[in-house]
Amino acid sequence: MLNKISETKRQFFAAAEGIKNSKELEDLRIAHLGRNGTVATLFEEFKTVTPEEKRVLGKELNLLRQELQAKFDELKEVIESSEKLSAPKIDISLPGRVPNKGTGHIVAETMNEIITIFKKIGFSVVTGPEIESDKNNFEALNFPADHPARDMQDTFFINKDFVLRTHTTPVQIRIMQTQEPPVRAIMPGRVYRNEAINARSYCMFHQVDGIYVDEKVTFAELKGTLVHFAKEYYGSSVQYKFRPSFFPFTEPSAEMDITCFICGGKGCRVCKQSGWLEILGCGMVDPNVLKYVGYDPEKVTGYAFGMGIERISMLKHDINDIRLLYENDVRFLKQF
Amino acid sequence: MKIVLSWIKEFVDIEDISVEKIAHELTMAGLEVESITNYGEMFDKFITAEVIEKIKHPNADKLSVCKVNTGSEVLQIVCGAPNVAAGQIIPLATEGARIPNADFVIKTTKLRGELSQGMICSESELGLSNDHSGIMVLSPETKIGIPLAEALGQNDVVFEIGITPNRPDALSHQGVSRDLAAIFNRPMKTKNLSPERIAKRIEEVAKIAIEDKVNCPRYSAVVVTDCKVGDSPDWMKNRLRMAGMRSINNIVDITNYVMLETGQPLHAFDLNNLAKSSIIVKKANDGTKFKTLDSVERNLSGSMLMICDGEKEVAIAGIMGGENSEVSSTTTNILIESAYFDPGCVRRSARALGLSTEASYRFERGTDFEGTMYAALLAADLMQKYANGKILSGELDIRAESLTKKEVTLRFNQIERILGYSVPQDKVVSILRNLQLGVKEVTDKIVVMTIPGFRPDIEREIDIVEEVARIHGYDNIPTVHRVSSPLVSAVDDLEMVNSMRRVLIGMGFNEIMNNSLQPAEITAVTGVPVPVMNPLNAEMSVMRSSLIQGGLATVKNNLNAGEKDMRLFEYGDIFIKKGEAINSFEDFEEVTVVTMLITGKAATKTWNEEERDYDFYDLKGYLKSLLESYLVTANLGHVYKTESDPVFEYSIEVFSGENKIGVIGKINDSFSSLFDIEQAVFCAELFVNCIERKKDKLKKYNPLLKYPKIVRDFAFIFDSEVRFDVISDFIRKNSSPLLKKISLFDLYENEKAIGAGKRSLAFTLEFYDLNRTLTEDEVEKEFSAIIQKITKKFDAVLRGN
Ligand SMILES: [Zn+2]
Repeated sequence: MLNKISETKRQFFAAAEGIKNSKELEDLRIAHLGRNGTVATLFEEFKTVTPEEKRVLGKELNLLRQELQAKFDELKEVIESSEKLSAPKIDISLPGRVPNKGTGHIVAETMNEIITIFKKIGFSVVTGPEIESDKNNFEALNFPADHPARDMQDTFFINKDFVLRTHTTPVQIRIMQTQEPPVRAIMPGRVYRNEAINARSYCMFHQVDGIYVDEKVTFAELKGTLVHFAKEYYGSSVQYKFRPSFFPFTEPSAEMDITCFICGGKGCRVCKQSGWLEILGCGMVDPNVLKYVGYDPEKVTGYAFGMGIERISMLKHDINDIRLLYENDVRFLKQF
Repeated sequence: MKIVLSWIKEFVDIEDISVEKIAHELTMAGLEVESITNYGEMFDKFITAEVIEKIKHPNADKLSVCKVNTGSEVLQIVCGAPNVAAGQIIPLATEGARIPNADFVIKTTKLRGELSQGMICSESELGLSNDHSGIMVLSPETKIGIPLAEALGQNDVVFEIGITPNRPDALSHQGVSRDLAAIFNRPMKTKNLSPERIAKRIEEVAKIAIEDKVNCPRYSAVVVTDCKVGDSPDWMKNRLRMAGMRSINNIVDITNYVMLETGQPLHAFDLNNLAKSSIIVKKANDGTKFKTLDSVERNLSGSMLMICDGEKEVAIAGIMGGENSEVSSTTTNILIESAYFDPGCVRRSARALGLSTEASYRFERGTDFEGTMYAALLAADLMQKYANGKILSGELDIRAESLTKKEVTLRFNQIERILGYSVPQDKVVSILRNLQLGVKEVTDKIVVMTIPGFRPDIEREIDIVEEVARIHGYDNIPTVHRVSSPLVSAVDDLEMVNSMRRVLIGMGFNEIMNNSLQPAEITAVTGVPVPVMNPLNAEMSVMRSSLIQGGLATVKNNLNAGEKDMRLFEYGDIFIKKGEAINSFEDFEEVTVVTMLITGKAATKTWNEEERDYDFYDLKGYLKSLLESYLVTANLGHVYKTESDPVFEYSIEVFSGENKIGVIGKINDSFSSLFDIEQAVFCAELFVNCIERKKDKLKKYNPLLKYPKIVRDFAFIFDSEVRFDVISDFIRKNSSPLLKKISLFDLYENEKAIGAGKRSLAFTLEFYDLNRTLTEDEVEKEFSAIIQKITKKFDAVLRGN
């Protein structure tokens, strides 16, 4: 029996030398340490020997089992860790699972970029209705009835008293009528013009208007604020100029041009070779507007400005047809 | 407004200033120069030449081969114009010339085998007019071989200026010159008019009566007799052409010329056609028909101001004359009308007639009520010179007392108050004097002006501040970076919408923007629409009452473009009419909504992914995720709408507390078919203003769980009609607070395996207690109690596991 024990041990260790993977190791375990393995068979045989033999053999048998188990454990560790290292690598070049790319509409995104700049310098963001009274849209803003200034904004009428607002400027009337100075707000939103639809014009678009009314607000500060905006939005190297213009609700009025960011001011198709791009209209709030909302033009002054969002978006993204913005072709939307 | 450089040089000496500088300074003073046409440069390499021979092209029916003499050589030109003929003096584009309206450069070439060394041009090709019927033929006296610009009298520069509605004075060469005089601080030249008169007096041949002095406060007239109607002199034709007007005859041209010079529209009546030799200015009789000189019959209304003779209407005041008193080739005696009409009156009539003319354009904006007689005399003077006319002595001039000049006072300190910097007082006064603003009194604090008639826009102190600012230059106003204002709490009306947008974009939705103007019929499905009185077309006749229609139109457009899988959202206002008519803001509702829309495939087949169509539960999941970002409490209602909903096949209302904040469902087939959409579209619409903001309610921290969760699964076979939410509510109601979460992990329907009308629902229940570890026993007890209750309540069969 002792011979059988030492023979089992020899066989086990000899076989252990050649083990290359966990499958062979498992086979080895079953052959020797399994339920019907060699060790178990020896224990069965052990039951039949004499008590004296049992004393000697018991010790030997237990020793055998321990040695085999220890060797097995050692092998298991070695093989498993080496198998982990040499496990087949994944093909990292296979495509991943790509979720759909969500996108904001560029008009809304542009509007928010502009809003953010003014929010940072203390402007509130206020919205108003798109169906507006003729009073707020025109009369309060110093557009006399039967005046050619009304031709500047072709209007959709709901009836003689209500219109689709032609600009977001009436929101300033709403703010000032409900609030004492100081008033400092920007007013983003959708506006409508009764214009034929083609590549360059659409019957609706979006604007951001701004107003600041307080004691001692001046044109110089208007320039400062808008130059700050232009530098934040178009880069600190942007050149600018303010040209006199006309809006019924501001006086003096101006239009702000910046160096064409497409050609850098050299002149191109977009800036009509002038090197300049008009980006907004502005001016000092007309005393008639201040009087209309019950402010005293001798006590307070204010500035106002307004810009068209589509134009800015289109220039920025080199879009040459405004209709693309409202056709909502997914192939277009996903480009931004 | 086209302004001719040589013309303004008659009024202000700017010979030493470059064209670019003039243009820049005009722009910086508010007269924006939109383009500059330099004819000298434009017609470089264009010369005059004589056609000496014309033969048919051997290889082309419509072409001819011409020999032209340029004075120094004879060139061969292939020409396609039918009117070319030997003996004509023509404009010739030679090698290297750039054709203005086509932007190509002339090169010697062969056309159908024949040599062509240039091009004979039409007026259209030269950018002179739209006439492209044939080549331009110059007058026979034209010298051969001279530059075309010289031959055309167009060696000149034209500025196209965009005139804002407040500056009617700048609709004339005189007005633009006045600004230049102020800009460059140079004197303005005036013309001395003292034409020779004959002894006969105007009162003997004409009389004037004004019945409506409110709308016609001034009417001036001069009579010129014995005129010979014919061609205008070339210099006048050239200037008119450069200013964008066609030559008609010398009399009409003179009235136009004076208008372009002074801004005062004139009308020349054939005096012999004026019944009783009288002019009566009065309102029209309602319903009268009147043929204007463009041969169109117009319907007059009682509010329109007319010029009448002793019997009939002869002109619509300030807009257009009538055919019946038009100057013809046989006209000899002329009454020149130079009047001031009320701007509002002219504008209303012009709009009612849908007729805008050079005259009405100026009258609407306000002409110079002081300048009427000067303009009439200037025209008379020109008629004497260029139509052999004789000017009668005296003039007729009726002027209402209401016409007075306005007095305006400027306080010097207001300049600094508005502009933020001070302009020296002497500089201010000099600017105002150069602008001829009638400075009559200057102290150390104020300057008082009597504003002349040519500046109707100046009425108030602020108008003077603007004049000073624009002439002194906006560039001179400093740029002050100051952000200081009392603290007021800033609001942001768009904060909610924008944070929802960010979540939706993060979930992979593409934002769309649709027109708010929609067709009436499909808009009415989702609410009584607000119609627009003057829509562009029927497709855009009402304001949208939902964003769903626009969204479905977008889906259709994309399907057409081959894009079948979409997750879209839009935010915007919708409008629903409440009252019979819209008399106040209460008669309609305008609210902001966010719409989500999914259609097509949720996943396409890839190497590691199976294809799957979007279904209702996808959108429901997106909606839940969106709502949980914003709401303290949001729940989907249990009201299932199925029948009679015009939009949804099935839908659920969405609630926040008691408030209905939206709806989610599947668009029904009949609504989809209106948009030609065949695939399933799922849609949710949320009313933004009704959504409760998370930050409005304080959210308290929940301690993180320290004890293990115990999880149990079971599956039951239910009747198919038993709804999931009924079962899950039942489980919740019949369990202790230890049950924290119920989720459905499997749904199985198979007629053979579990029977018809049956389905198996498999739930996972999660138990835990925040304060202790639960024992297996108590959970087991709880779990088996629920099993029994479900079995009993729903007559359900527990499936073995
Ligand atoms: Zn450019």
